[in-house]
Amino acid sequence: MEITVRNKKWEEDRFLNERKDVLSRWPTGKEVDFEEAVEYHKGLPDYKNFTRVMQKLHREGRTVIFPRGGTPILEQEIELNKALFEAGLPVIPLTPDSYCRLGQYAKAQQGLEASIKAGQPKLNGYPTVIHGVPNTRKVVENTEAALNQRLTNIGGIRLMAEIAFASGITAALVDPLLTFGWYEKKTTAAESIEEYQYIQRLIGYYAERGVTIANDTDGINANLQFPMSVDIASVIIVGMLGAEQGVKSVIPRISMFGHLAQDIAWARVLRKLMREYLDKFGYGDVIVPGLALDQVPLFPHPQDTGMSFGFLGYSATVAALAQGEIVYVRTIDEAAGIPSKEAHAVSYRAARFIFDVIRAQKIDLDIASIKTEERITELEVRAIMDRVLDLGDGDVAVGFEKGVQTGAIDCPLSSNVNLKSKVLGIRDNQGACRYLDFGNLPIPEEAREFHREKVAEREQAEGRKMDLNAVIQDFWAFSKGKIKGEPASRGYNRPRGGFS
Amino acid sequence: MAEKATIVTGTVGQDSHVIGIKLLSRYLMEQGYKVIELGGLTPAEEFIKVAQETAAAAILISSLYGMAELDLAGFKEKCTESGLGDVLLYLGGNLAVGRHRFEDDERKFKGMGFDRVYPPEVDMAIVVSDLKNDLKAKRQA
Repeated sequence: MEITVRNKKWEEDRFLNERKDVLSRWPTGKEVDFEEAVEYHKGLPDYKNFTRVMQKLHREGRTVIFPRGGTPILEQEIELNKALFEAGLPVIPLTPDSYCRLGQYAKAQQGLEASIKAGQPKLNGYPTVIHGVPNTRKVVENTEAALNQRLTNIGGIRLMAEIAFASGITAALVDPLLTFGWYEKKTTAAESIEEYQYIQRLIGYYAERGVTIANDTDGINANLQFPMSVDIASVIIVGMLGAEQGVKSVIPRISMFGHLAQDIAWARVLRKLMREYLDKFGYGDVIVPGLALDQVPLFPHPQDTGMSFGFLGYSATVAALAQGEIVYVRTIDEAAGIPSKEAHAVSYRAARFIFDVIRAQKIDLDIASIKTEERITELEVRAIMDRVLDLGDGDVAVGFEKGVQTGAIDCPLSSNVNLKSKVLGIRDNQGACRYLDFGNLPIPEEAREFHREKVAEREQAEGRKMDLNAVIQDFWAFSKGKIKGEPASRGYNRPRGGFS
Repeated sequence: MAEKATIVTGTVGQDSHVIGIKLLSRYLMEQGYKVIELGGLTPAEEFIKVAQETAAAAILISSLYGMAELDLAGFKEKCTESGLGDVLLYLGGNLAVGRHRFEDDERKFKGMGFDRVYPPEVDMAIVVSDLKNDLKAKRQA
């Protein structure tokens, strides 16, 4: 295999050369004045710095919601952020439109012009590159919270990061492996890593001048029931890739899947191992200011307000019990279109009630089922990391790419053709996620045995073999208000969901 | 028993949502069909090209991001021009942006030449049963 990308800090010359090209891709690139931007960041209050807000939440033992947001028209974007802040949210995302993410800036400009003309959004987000620095500074100045520029896909995000950071935005989702697994079809992991290394190097460039911009990382997460060990390993790898380029603040994120013990265990293992691997590989000065939890990706469908409240309540409860600093949730009416101001407010009040009541108890759950899930997950994550480091001869970028090729890194039903997608997950009798097919994942024998036993337990209890039908039934279980699919005798005999 | 038909599957346009169509593809394979999976982010033209190359009997298209109408404008006509007038066209998913009724989506896409239109939560056994019956009807016609 030809090695095209390494986990090695870019030479300043290479970075500055590519930078000239990046800044020339759209006229607003000229508005980026690095030295001025550094001074601007230094003048921002702490509550506008994402890392400091996370540190404060951690110190105070608080959990807050990280909402969804991003709308094309400047005035409406400011209005939305004001509403979110008034609903009590100290951290707010700036989600860009798809054209900007892909580098189709001319189309994004047309979309913005059409939106302004119509007085309503025609793009699915805020076109950061088209608005440029002066407008995006207006967003920063009129938002009394810390902003986070969401970056996904390939092609348009380098310039987007430049504009966002020059405007005073202090965090970004910078995750080559998320984009590789779930946004791209043919792009290789190496290509995605290289695209994002530029942005991590840019964050490092600011860090060298005393400006802290946080790199949050999602990992190559599975979007249907599956143990999170590969995801946790990939989040750690993105943290290491960033740290090598000079990132000084990493915010890991983990998905819940609805099984309480597992959801809490995964959060704990990720927080612990992220710190451990950063330290072990010489990135001890990189801080991990907090942890993000994400709602179960199996949002109930069709949507029902009562069920949406229940779903939100579950996410809020787990985030509080896992002592996460932020949690991604959807409002109760999100599936019906763009959430109203009232829907934001009522959703977040419900979650805040849960946060405040649970976190005030300073509860530290020390129960056997969580401990077991932690032990198994840790075993698996370490084995995956060992294999990646081994394949890459100590280099996680090389090792990840080779891991994908050999199936040592894999996830079920991914959009990317480079992943083998040989693995599959199933619920056990209590609803925890287990492997139905291990593919070529380097899962240690002890863990394999544990998963097999748990699957066999459900097979015995339900008197049927766990197969593709059961996988599909599990996939739809949340929409029926259940943690796992039910066997034929209870009326769930037919697999659903061919086109979701 | 005659050899089962070749079916082309995928998600159309700039849409990366693939879990549903991949589950359906595996389910069809388990039922003995030969399935050519094109996966996510598949241009409409690619469905036609691959269906020609593999002499497919049906094209099953998924779309979850709401923009299927744009992605599939003139699709049936292009199929006919390419000599695929007989190929069954199935479409499923979330077929419009914002609030919408499935009945309207179904009418619209059937008007555009699709033989079957399904909502996201459709029972896979129904899709396969429809496919079986439609293929049988074609053979007898």
